[in-house]
Amino acid sequence: MRFIGVSVLLLLPACARPPAGPRLVVAVNAGVEGDALKHAAADYQRVSGVRMEIVELPYSNLFEKAMLDLDGRTGAYDVIMMDDPWFPRLASHQKLVPLEPLYRLAGLSGPDADFVATSLQLCHEPYPNGRLYALPYVGNSPLFFYRKDLFDKHGLTAPRTWHEVRDAARRLQESERGFYGYVMRAAPGNAATTDFMPILWAFGADLLAPDGAPRLDTPEAAEALSFMVEMGRFTPPGYVSFNADEIAAHLLQSTAIMSINWPSWISAMDDPVKSRVVDKIGFALLPGQREPGRAVLGNWLLAIPAGSHRVDAAFTFLRWATDPAQMRQAAERGGPPTRRSVFLDPALLRRFRAYPVQLASLETGRPRPRTPHWNEIENIFGVLISKANAGSISVADALARAQKEIADIQRRNP
Amino acid sequence: MTPHSAPWPPTPGPRAWVLPAIAVLALLSIYPLLFAIEVSLRTPAGHGFSNFTRLVQDRFFLVALAQTLVYTAGALVIEFTLGLGLALLLHREFRGRQVFRSLLLIPMLLPPVVVAVIWRLILNPEFGVLNGTLRSLGVPTASLTWFGSERTAMLSVILVDAWQWTPFMFLLLLAGLQGLPVEPFEAARVDGASSLQIFRRLTLPMLRPVIAIAVLLRTMDLLRVFDQIFILTQGGPGFATETVTLYIYRTAFRYWNFGYAAAMSFVLLAATTIIARAFLRLLREQPA
Repeated sequence: MRFIGVSVLLLLPACARPPAGPRLVVAVNAGVEGDALKHAAADYQRVSGVRMEIVELPYSNLFEKAMLDLDGRTGAYDVIMMDDPWFPRLASHQKLVPLEPLYRLAGLSGPDADFVATSLQLCHEPYPNGRLYALPYVGNSPLFFYRKDLFDKHGLTAPRTWHEVRDAARRLQESERGFYGYVMRAAPGNAATTDFMPILWAFGADLLAPDGAPRLDTPEAAEALSFMVEMGRFTPPGYVSFNADEIAAHLLQSTAIMSINWPSWISAMDDPVKSRVVDKIGFALLPGQREPGRAVLGNWLLAIPAGSHRVDAAFTFLRWATDPAQMRQAAERGGPPTRRSVFLDPALLRRFRAYPVQLASLETGRPRPRTPHWNEIENIFGVLISKANAGSISVADALARAQKEIADIQRRNP
Repeated sequence: MTPHSAPWPPTPGPRAWVLPAIAVLALLSIYPLLFAIEVSLRTPAGHGFSNFTRLVQDRFFLVALAQTLVYTAGALVIEFTLGLGLALLLHREFRGRQVFRSLLLIPMLLPPVVVAVIWRLILNPEFGVLNGTLRSLGVPTASLTWFGSERTAMLSVILVDAWQWTPFMFLLLLAGLQGLPVEPFEAARVDGASSLQIFRRLTLPMLRPVIAIAVLLRTMDLLRVFDQIFILTQGGPGFATETVTLYIYRTAFRYWNFGYAAAMSFVLLAATTIIARAFLRLLREQPA
C-alpha cells in the first residue's frame, strides 16, 4: 500500500499540466529544410528570453509525431513544421489553431501581402481561401536544371516544352560522350509522383477532376505517362529506384545533362567540394507542352497545434520567424524564402543567381491535390508509375489501375 | 504470543510471488494484444471484420505477402547453405582458424541500417564500387542495376541479408558441430564410411535440433524484416521488394489506418506462428 502511495506521489507531477512559462517546443524536419528554423529558434531565444526546445525529427517521423500530437491534443509541441501535402490532413477537424483571431488580437487583418500568394494559399483549409492555419516558411518549388555550357556549345536554349527536352536529350546524348541526356527519379511513392505531375499537367491532364474524382482515364494522361517512359531511354539505368539524391549525384558528377530537382540542391551545384559542374548549371522554369509548365509546390509551413498551452507565445514566434528580416536571415542560411521582398533583395540576388527563376517557379507552381488522403493516393499512384517505367506493366494498365485504386481509396474514406 | 499464532507480517503464498511478473506481462503484452485486436476490428461504421475481408481482395497485400515468403525462403536457403558450409570448414583444425572465425562475425555485429547504407553505396549502378570494379575489368555493367530493376531487386536485397546474417547461422551450426560426440564419427570411419555418408547419416541427423533452432530464429527475423529493405529500396522499384511489414508501416503511419494495419499484423503473426510450430514439432521429433 505504502509502495502504491509513493508511486502515485512520484507520478503526479508527470501527469500535471506543464507550467505555462517562457518556453516553446518546436518540431522541426531533420534536413536542409529545417536548418534555417533551428538557427532562427536559437536567435529567438537570445533576443526574447523564451527558452526554445527543438525536437528534430526525420521526415517520416515528423508526420507520425505531428499526427499523434494533433490527434491526442497532447500539447507536446507549440509549433510544428510541416510539408504542405500533409496540411489538409493535419488541418482537418480543428487540430490546428486558426490564425485569423490571433492576427485580430494583434491589431492586424492577416498576413501581409509580401508573402508569395501561392505559398500563402497552401496555408488555408479548405484550399485556397478557407481558414488560415499556418504560415509558409520554406518556399520550395522545383526547377529545371540543365547543363548551360553544353547547351551553349550546341547553340541550344533552355527547353520550353517537354518535346524540346526530349530532342535536346537525344542530340546531346549522341554527341557528348559519357552523358545521359536526362535524369529523372521514378522510385515508388513521392519520387515518381513528384517527377511525373509536371509532365501530366503540361500534357493537359490531371490526377483528380475538380469534383475530386480520379481523372486518369484520358488520352492526355496516357500521352503524358508514355512520354515519361520514353524519357527513360535518356536516363541512367536503374532510375526506377532513384530519388532526389541520385539525380543530384548524376548532375554533380557530370554524368547527366538535365533534370528536375528541388532548390535545396542549387548551392551544391556551385560548391567545388561537392561538384564537378561549378557555374555550368543553368536553372529554368519547368517545361510546358499543351499547357504552360508548372512546378509541384513543396513548401514547408509553420503551424500551432490546438493542444498547445502557449498559443500566444507560439504565434509571436511564428510572426517573428516569418517577418522579412528573419526570412532574409533564413535565406542567407540557404532556405528558399516565401516572401517576394526577400527574393528581390539586391544583395541576395547577387549571391543566389537562381532567385528570379525560383520566384517565378513558386508563383506559377501548383500544389499537389488537396486531400487528407494524399499520402495513400501518392504512394499507390507512385508505385504504378514506377512499375510502368520499369516496364512490368503497360502505360494503359498503370493508369487504369491507378484510376481504380484512387477511386477505392476515396470510397473507403468518404 | 501463543505458539500457533500466524507470523506478522504474513508470508505471501507462492502465487503472490508471480503477481508482479503477471502484472508486467499484462501491462506490456496482454493489454496491447487485446487493444490491437480491438483496433483491427474498428471500421468507419463501428466494429466488424471488414478489415480482414478486405485483406483477401487487396492485391497489394497479397503480393507483399507472397514477396515476404519469397524473401524469407530465398535468404534462408542461402544463409543455411553457406552457414553450414562455413561451419564444416572451420570446424577443422588449421592455422588462422580463429582469425577467420572472428572476421566472419563482423557483418552480424553491424546495425542493419548501416549494412543497408553500405550496400546501397556499393551496389549503386553508376558510382558503386562493385560495378566500377567490374567495368575496370571489362565486364559490361549496363544491365547490372541491382536495386534499380524489378528483376534483380529482390535477389539483391536477399544477398544483402545473406551477407549480414550467414555468420549467425554459421555461429549456431558451428556450436552444434562442436557439441557432437566424437565416438559415432570414429566408429563410422573405422567401418569404412565415406565423408558424404558420415555427413548424411550422422552429422545432419545429430545436428537437427540445432538446425531447427537456427532456422526458426532466422525465419522469424526474416518474416518481420523492415529496416534493411526500407533503406535499400523502400519496397521498389514499383512494388518489387515490398514486404508485409513495409506495407503495414505505410498503412499505419503514412495512411493513418491503424485498423487495417493491425489486421495485417495478425495475419503475419498467424503465419509466423504456424511456421514456428512446424519447426518446433521437427525439433521434438527424434531421428529414427
